[in-house]
Amino acid sequence: MNRSATALLVALAIAGCSKPAPDPVEQIVVRKPGDPAVTVPTPAARDATAVGKQAFAASCAACHAVTASAPAGVGPTLYGVVGRKAGTLPGFAYSAAMKGSGLTWSGEKIDTFLANPQDLIPGTAMSAGAVTDPATRQAIAAYLTSLRNGG
Amino acid sequence: MNKWTRRGFIGTGVLAGGALVVGVAVRPGNQVGKLRGDVATGEGDQLVNAWVKIGRDNTVTAIVPHCEMGQGVHTSLAQMLADELDADWSKVTAMQAPADGFYVVPDAVREFIATWSLDAPRWIEPTYNGLFTKVSQLGDALVTGGSSSVRATGQHTMRIAGAAARQMLIAAAARKWGVPADEIVTENSMLTHKASGKAGTYGDFAEAASHETMPQLPPLKDVSQFKLMEQGIQRLDIPAKVNGTAKFGIDAAISGQQLKYAAVKAPPVPGAKVETIKADTAKTMPGVLQILNMGDFVAVVADGYWQAQQALNTIEAHYSTTANDGLDDAGLRARYAKALDAAGDKGGKVLAAKGDAAGAFNGAAKKVTAEYQAPFLAHTAMEPMNCTAWVHDGRCEIWTSTQVPLMARSAVAKALGIGAGDVTVNQLYLGGAFGRRLESDYAVQAARIAKATGYPVKLVWSREEDVRQDFYRPADTSRFAAGFDAGGKLVSWNNVFTQLHDPAGAWDASQYDIPNLSIRHAEADMHLRFGSWRSVDHSQQAFFIESFVDELAHAAGQDPFEFRRGLLGKAPRHKVVLEKVAQMAGWGTPPPAGTTRGIALVKAFGTIVGEVVELSMSGGRPRVTKVWCSADAGYVMNPDGFTAQMEGGIVFGLTAALYGGITLKDGAVVQGNFNDYPMVRMNEAPEIAVEFINADTKVLGGAGEPGLPPIAPAVCNAIFAATGQRIRNLPIMGHFA
Repeated sequence: MNRSATALLVALAIAGCSKPAPDPVEQIVVRKPGDPAVTVPTPAARDATAVGKQAFAASCAACHAVTASAPAGVGPTLYGVVGRKAGTLPGFAYSAAMKGSGLTWSGEKIDTFLANPQDLIPGTAMSAGAVTDPATRQAIAAYLTSLRNGG
Repeated sequence: MNKWTRRGFIGTGVLAGGALVVGVAVRPGNQVGKLRGDVATGEGDQLVNAWVKIGRDNTVTAIVPHCEMGQGVHTSLAQMLADELDADWSKVTAMQAPADGFYVVPDAVREFIATWSLDAPRWIEPTYNGLFTKVSQLGDALVTGGSSSVRATGQHTMRIAGAAARQMLIAAAARKWGVPADEIVTENSMLTHKASGKAGTYGDFAEAASHETMPQLPPLKDVSQFKLMEQGIQRLDIPAKVNGTAKFGIDAAISGQQLKYAAVKAPPVPGAKVETIKADTAKTMPGVLQILNMGDFVAVVADGYWQAQQALNTIEAHYSTTANDGLDDAGLRARYAKALDAAGDKGGKVLAAKGDAAGAFNGAAKKVTAEYQAPFLAHTAMEPMNCTAWVHDGRCEIWTSTQVPLMARSAVAKALGIGAGDVTVNQLYLGGAFGRRLESDYAVQAARIAKATGYPVKLVWSREEDVRQDFYRPADTSRFAAGFDAGGKLVSWNNVFTQLHDPAGAWDASQYDIPNLSIRHAEADMHLRFGSWRSVDHSQQAFFIESFVDELAHAAGQDPFEFRRGLLGKAPRHKVVLEKVAQMAGWGTPPPAGTTRGIALVKAFGTIVGEVVELSMSGGRPRVTKVWCSADAGYVMNPDGFTAQMEGGIVFGLTAALYGGITLKDGAVVQGNFNDYPMVRMNEAPEIAVEFINADTKVLGGAGEPGLPPIAPAVCNAIFAATGQRIRNLPIMGHFA
């Protein structure tokens, strides 16, 4: 037998006589699963616009820019979206569903749309990006509303 | 894949509901030392490994011991079994064998530790089979690696199980119909007796067949009888992977449990301990549940993975010092150089010797010497290292993607101080592995964290942890000295290098007919952990050897293809592969304007592979535009799967050759993610043509690894043809920054 076989037998010998790994040197239990977090402010307690900005960066920014001059990505820029008639930004290839929706974006409409885009506008090309948490949706809507003022 | 429990049928051969189950029989309870003498004397009487299940509904389930990590093994092994069984492929499914200690891969073990047993006479085969099954069980050898699944388990286990099941079905039908067994024909999971007009499905006879004697060595099909083997059958796992229902380790969920997530960070320098941690910020961060100093790593457990990772990033850890804290690449290379200097032209451990290489070199008319270097490499499998663990009531259950489920089980048991029987391993698909998942470190971490928390935890490594805490393809330095006589004949090959792991003979150059040859190992320590990285030692040795052979061709003033060909007089199969790839690439005709070609030839894991690269220098940087690949793997069982493995090996190897370089600073790995450890992207992927030669139907070669080794030297040889620049250390792009 060559060295691999020897290694196998050595491994077997070792397996029989070694000790278990030690327990933690230090264990800091911050809270138990299911316990409410005491030190973490909820989104509502913080500035909704700032929270929305953070949530937007995590959930939306991969496809949507937020400045007026930004080129279109997968989705259109959302600068000044509140007050805009849906599907009308020049130069962006909207879905027929979006163009034909006839709605004008408000904070409330954005909230509804984000809950499930296909519910509000069946056939929209926006297949990703639904936000399930209502507080986060409202925060994103607040952030997008603030962009009207150059935010 | 369906779930089931093995205990329902082992030892009986019958499943509730009437199914035939066939496995490889060995007698239980024998000690390793006694087995060889004992087992051949009696009939095997207990089913230990079951490989096929035939249900009353006429479905055939191939129970595959190897893990599916993208290499398509669930399909190719099911295919080999189903062909011998004469099964209807549309009714065949594959399932992962459970990691309960009964399933092992003795034939893969034999391939590696006892090749002497592979050509055993038929009468002693059951003895060897029993012996290696026992050895495999003791050594937790349920391993997917070494390019061994098809050539070992497929050829020596799955086919036999399929053929045995077929004979048992025929015997059962013959008994019931009262007709001679040899008049019964099998096809598409049907039994037919033409003279009496009787016919039945396999499902009809599954239960009766289970009472028939299982043949120990059923005759296998000849190539002319193959129906499924040699077909490019589509993979069984693809639909689930396309529609997203496939479950990888990272998708693990525990019914009725809300998983918590853990992120970990180990000390940057191997061997250091975590002395103290400062976690003031982490304690206040969202979702955080626990912060753990485990001594050898720090962990944060939180409601979500990202929360755990973000909190972990704020923890300041203080580590113990080690002897390697100041080590950088220059220091490591100096260490290697010292070992090589000490070995000189005769020292070190002699691996191969023929004639007097040093003497012939001293008397040579023309001398060529060179030193080559290869860097450390990380695996960077796309699915990050992960394991879900739950420890309760003295037991531990884990869900993970691993190449070694039984070794993971033993490692977890050892770490927790419980018996292996108290650990359950649930094996899921692997999102790539390349040898990284031959290690069980992440499973042990998950189990230890879960023991500390008491609730189930899913551990997910960051990419940075993956790159910095790998088991690495070792950095190596290799020195060559070769000499030609006055007639221009290559008379001496003298080679010494520092890293020797697996497989045996990766350093071999004896396919080339050189009268004086010396190959030696000058051992030099490294502090990073060694890991098997796709093709292991071949990954660096092929670069060293096939680049140096190219140097010798140019020194001799010969065409690199003709030079190799002239040295292959005693290696006819190598020669055929080389000629084939040259012909595919149009070697000898002028390459397209602005391109050059490079060639390399390597035998690894039983398969000889020749590759020719077409390369252009665009903007001063090399760009590989085409790769031709010819391979002799004995016999290719699934041409589509085999071709995909060659292509995968080539692209993986090209990534490493062009970009792969793990470097050291202050004893720690510098790189951390794909920004500084890049991979070949779609726009850089060459067009690849693969052809193979079926030269031996009995002894097969592997597929997962052999495509990789020739690509680095073939690219470097093409660069030399283009620029006159000889690349002697990798990665290539380090020379064109």
